[in-house]
Formats: sequence, C-alpha cells, structure tokens
Amino acid sequence: MHGCGLKIIVCVKQVPATTEVEIDSERGTLIREGVESTINPFDLYAVEEAVRLKERYGGEITAISMGPPQAESSLREALAMGCDRAVLLTDKVFAGADTLATAYTLACGIRKIGTYDIIICGLKTTDGDTGQVGPGLAEELGIPHVSYVRRIHLFMDGQIVLERTLDDVYEKVRVHMPCLITVTKEINEPRLPSLKRKLWARKAQIKILRAEDLGGEADRFGLNGSPTRVVKVFNPPPRLGGRLIKGEPDMLADEILKKLVELNVL
Amino acid sequence: MEMKYNKVTDEVLKDLRGIVGEENVLTDKETIKLYSSDEAPIGLEATAEVVVKPKCTDEVSDILSLANEKMIPVTPRGQGTGLCNGAVPVYGGILLSLERMNRILEIDEDNLMAVVEAGVVLSDLRLEVERRGLFYPADPGERTSFIGGNIGTNAGGMNGVKYGKTRDYVLGLEAVLPNGKVLNLGGKVVKRSMGYDLMHLIIGSEGTLAVVTKAILKLIRLPKIFITLYVPFSNMYDAAKSVSEILREKVTPTAIELVEREVILEAENRLGKRMPHHDADAYLIIRIDGDKEEELYGDAEAVSEICLSNNAVDVLVADTKERQSVIWDIRSVFYEAIVKSREADIVDAAIPPSKMPLYIERIKKISDEYGVKILSYGHAGDGNIHVHPIKDGLSDEEWNEKLPKVMMKLYSEAKNLGGVVSGEHGIGWTKKKYLPICLDKEEIRIMKEIKKIFDPNNILNPGKIFDA
Repeated sequence: MHGCGLKIIVCVKQVPATTEVEIDSERGTLIREGVESTINPFDLYAVEEAVRLKERYGGEITAISMGPPQAESSLREALAMGCDRAVLLTDKVFAGADTLATAYTLACGIRKIGTYDIIICGLKTTDGDTGQVGPGLAEELGIPHVSYVRRIHLFMDGQIVLERTLDDVYEKVRVHMPCLITVTKEINEPRLPSLKRKLWARKAQIKILRAEDLGGEADRFGLNGSPTRVVKVFNPPPRLGGRLIKGEPDMLADEILKKLVELNVL
Repeated sequence: MEMKYNKVTDEVLKDLRGIVGEENVLTDKETIKLYSSDEAPIGLEATAEVVVKPKCTDEVSDILSLANEKMIPVTPRGQGTGLCNGAVPVYGGILLSLERMNRILEIDEDNLMAVVEAGVVLSDLRLEVERRGLFYPADPGERTSFIGGNIGTNAGGMNGVKYGKTRDYVLGLEAVLPNGKVLNLGGKVVKRSMGYDLMHLIIGSEGTLAVVTKAILKLIRLPKIFITLYVPFSNMYDAAKSVSEILREKVTPTAIELVEREVILEAENRLGKRMPHHDADAYLIIRIDGDKEEELYGDAEAVSEICLSNNAVDVLVADTKERQSVIWDIRSVFYEAIVKSREADIVDAAIPPSKMPLYIERIKKISDEYGVKILSYGHAGDGNIHVHPIKDGLSDEEWNEKLPKVMMKLYSEAKNLGGVVSGEHGIGWTKKKYLPICLDKEEIRIMKEIKKIFDPNNILNPGKIFDA
C-alpha cells in the first residue's frame, strides 16, 4: 500500500448472457456469434469489491479483460461501476486460449500496466466454469493468491486479512500484498452504476493492447499456448423420470421413508 | 335483491358430465373451495356447487344453455388472480373454469396478431410471441393470469404509460351468451366502424355479459433494447412530482412505477432478492425501451435531469437483462408482500397523472387523521396508484371501525381530483359500494338495462359490478 492509496486491478470477462448456448461440437467451443453477451456475473462482485476498497482507502482501479473487440462493453460496465481505466487485450492470436494461455496473456497485460497492490477476480466465469484463471494468473505473476474470498477484514502493513469459504468452514487467512484474490457472491452486493457514470463510461477511452504490445512468448498465446484441448462435447444423459407415488399424505410419508431407508439415504 | 336460483341437482350434474366428460366435472368439496376464491385481500365466504371445465366453445355454449334453462348461476373463472372477488361464486351454482381452453391458435406474423383461447396464460403468450420478435405489451404485473381474465377486467399494469391497457390490444372476441348463442365480434381488422361496439362492451364487463372464449389480439414489434432506471428520492412527493414532469417531456417511458421504501423491503424479504439501493424513502422505477441505444440513453438523460432537479438522490441504471429482471421481479411481488403477511385492503384509484403529488399528500393526511398505516405504490406514469390501508397496530374493533371510513375517504379524494375508483382491477363484488362515487345514477341505470338484454335471467356472474 502506497501513500496514494491502493492500486487495484480487476479482471473481467465477457460471457454469453444466456445459459442456453449452442456448442460447436467440431471445435468443442461455445458458439458465441449472435448470442447476446454480458459481463461475467461473478466479475460484478470483483468490481464492486474493488470500488469499495477504493472508496475506503483511496487509490485507483484498472479493469482488464482479454477477449474479442466487443469485450470492451464489459470493461465499460466496470468503468460505469467505478473503475478508473480499462485495458483490453485483444488479438486474433489470443483466440482459442484455455485457462493457462488466458492466465499467461493476462499476466503479460498486467505487467504492462505496472505496479499493483491487489488483483481481484470473480470466482469463476459462467461460461467456462473452471475458476482456474485467477489462481493461474497469480502463479504466472509469482504472487500469492487466495480463492473463495467472502470478506476482506483489514489492511495493515502491506498485509490483508481475508475470510474464505471452504466446504464446511470459514478460513481466516493473512496474505502479503501484492496478491490476487477471487471473490464469491457472498462478499457484497454489486451496485447499479449511476446514469451519469454510465454515460461517461460509454464514451471513455479504453486502452487496447495487442500481442505485439505485450511482448511475451508468442507460442504461449491462444490455441498454441493451450495444452488442454476439448476432445468432445456432449450433453449429459437425460435423467430418467422418477417414480411417481400417489396417495394419502400418511401413506406417502411411509412410502418415501421406506424408500429412503432402502436406498441407504437415512 | 332476492335471487331465485335453483340448486345443482344430480340430474344437472349428469347433464354437465354429458357435456364435458366425467373427469371435468368436479364435486369434491376441497377442490371446489380452491376454485371459489380469488386473490382479493379480504375474501368472501362463498362456494360453488360444482366446478366445470369445458374444452371448447361448444361445451361452454351447452353449459350456459343448460344453466340458463335451469336458472343456475354461472361464474366464469380464469386463473383467479383478480383482487375484487370478481370470480367468486357468491350465489353458488356452477364455477366455469376456462383452464382447459389454453391453446394459442395462431400467431399471424403478416398482420401482427395472435388468436388465442381464453385460458391461455399471459406469460405463455408473451414468451411465444417474443420468440418471434413480437410483443404483447398489455402486462398487469401478474403474468400467471389468463388472457380471458385480462379481458374481463380490462387489465392494465406496468406498460400503460406507453402501450395502454388490454382493451387497446383486443381486435376480436368470440363470446358465448347466457342463452348459449355464440357471438363473433370484431376480427382481424385494425379499423372498424359498424354501429355499437359490443366487443368493447364485453371487454371489462367482468364476465357479467358473456363468457369470452377466444380473442384476436394485436401484437407489436418487440423493442430491441430496454433499460431500467432506479431512482431514489427522499420522499414520495418529490418522486410523484417528477413523474408528472417526465410525462410532459417528449420522452415516453414504457413504465413509471412509484413505491415507498417499506414496500420494497417487504418485497425483498418475500422474494429473497435485493434491490440495488435501500437508503431512500421513495423510489421511481422507470423502464425505457426502443431500438437505438443512442436515443435510449438520450431519453434516459432527459428523465434523469428531471428527477435530479426534483431532488432525486441519484439515478441508477440497469441495462443487462439480469439486473433489470431483479428489479422487476421484486416489483411484481409488491402486492403479495403487503397483503400476505397481514391484514390489509387495497384501493385501485386512477387519477389524472399530474394530480399524483396532491393525492400522495392527501393519502398521508388520511393516514394521520385516522391513525391507520397506509402503504402505497403504483403505476404512477398513468396515474394509477395502489393504496393499502394496513391493520398493523390496530385491534380488530378499531380496524373494523376505521377501515370502511378510510377506504371511502381514499376513493372520495381520488374522485375529488378527477379520478375513478378502479384503474384496472375492476369492481367485482368488493367495490360495488364505491361505484356510485364515480358513476351517476343514469349511467348505472343504462348498465343495468344492458345487463338485462344480455342476461335476462341474471345467471352470469351475478352480484358483480352492481346488483342487477
């Protein structure tokens, strides 16, 4: 933490606005053309947390995204909510990136942005659903990360105390900055931007960085830099219809109890 | 007035089974009870003798002829989402549920029209037409309602400011008279000038003149973009004042909803979702639609300027589907959030939109004067406000004594401002006593004469709107 407040970076991603996306079964990727897109819902919580930190401690927030040119609309959403500037990493060679190549590309972009105290990511995206890019990015940058953060307790002496959600417990973690955190939906309630800021954000300058601007190793971008391949995409088999039990409430309760015992659920 | 109706005998039941089939004549007491109420905050103790579920117009016709001949009252019922006990079978008899007549018969994309049966669920129709880039804008908030019920009450709702109410979207009706004859009114024409308009007479007649079985509805193109402004104010008056100024602008929002904070908090609890702002006493929720983003934001800016000049705390904007639907989902449970957890009544007054700030002041005065808590929200953009006197903190005695006075006062004040006693819910059974506030004797006399022509035996939804 510097005298002039926190330097915060928020990562955002443009995702399809619907959950009913068609899949290109040849390439194993989502067909994004013609589908309305939106900022990844989890990223709203990351942006909100960044804005709250800034409101409390002062500083500056940079939103960053890797994606096609239209991904700038997600960055504009982040600007409208309170980010100060936005950087879009966009280049044909970034296309087809898996989580590793994405993390690498973002790391290159973030190095270009300069110093930072904390990077905030949403827990995962609603399209890929892996939750790997945040931690992967921290590894690339060589900084500590904490995932599943549900609360930021306090900042002191270059450290933060965080609370994270595990399966059945909450864990309190102290971590040195600079660091990266991924946040859950518990952490806050994302604000609606004010119209005034929204109108500003619609016209704000977004910095575009291409592969050549990033430097980096060309074979670590996009499809080339992606060791994972989607081999096959298929729908899970449809669930077979259950058994319908009809009758009086008492009888039903007995039936269901019997069945649960039979199935070793109870 | 004494009613000389006959009971539903075993013989009548047999005839009904012959018309609609065994499984569509329900006589089980519990089932009948479920069909014998609507969502009015203060219900009635009344039950039908039998529930009958026809599948087609011919069956409706046979049922009505039978009932007319045997002097048995028939209460048509849609989804029972009405708020004035309009679908409650107050004289027993046959409860005619149109739930099986639920087919969307045609979506005519050449003429932008839909032909539907009366039991089509509003939300189903909306989804079906939206899939084709079309829009059925008449939207009474409660989208589980049936189109037939929407027509019966001339349902209004959220989109009234820009798109009007159900009546504005009905081009044709098939309706069955109590004597079993079938009327085909209107048609797939946009203009029509041929004598008295019986179709429009039936729209809003709350099932007292004929049973609507089919409708031809007008559709429009689905606007490409919607945005929602959520505008906090420190009081209801400033919010209401902004509304009348917005209406004077050349911007026409789709919807302008006014609500006080407490209603929002209760609706959030009910739904388990949260609005994006909580600290202000009153809010406007404004939806703007259109095809061009630039224009839309231009309109939003104009609206925003007006709100801010009327002391709005801020103007927040939701432009994604998800964030807008949170707001509108919460909006859609205001009514139940207020009435389901306590005793309350509802006033459905409509006043000239410019008088809204004055009415808001008078509501507050009435609340103070009688010591009865009142919560309000409504479609401020078309001057239609729902005012709920609430029992909180009053004993049964106090409530029973004060409520009728408060209700009468709220309606009278609306009338004094040039308003009416029902904007969109209809009169049903509950509001009969308030009708004379607004309609003069001669008007009611003519209505009664019309009722006699359509339904000389007074078997169709008797006891509703007025006592025939």
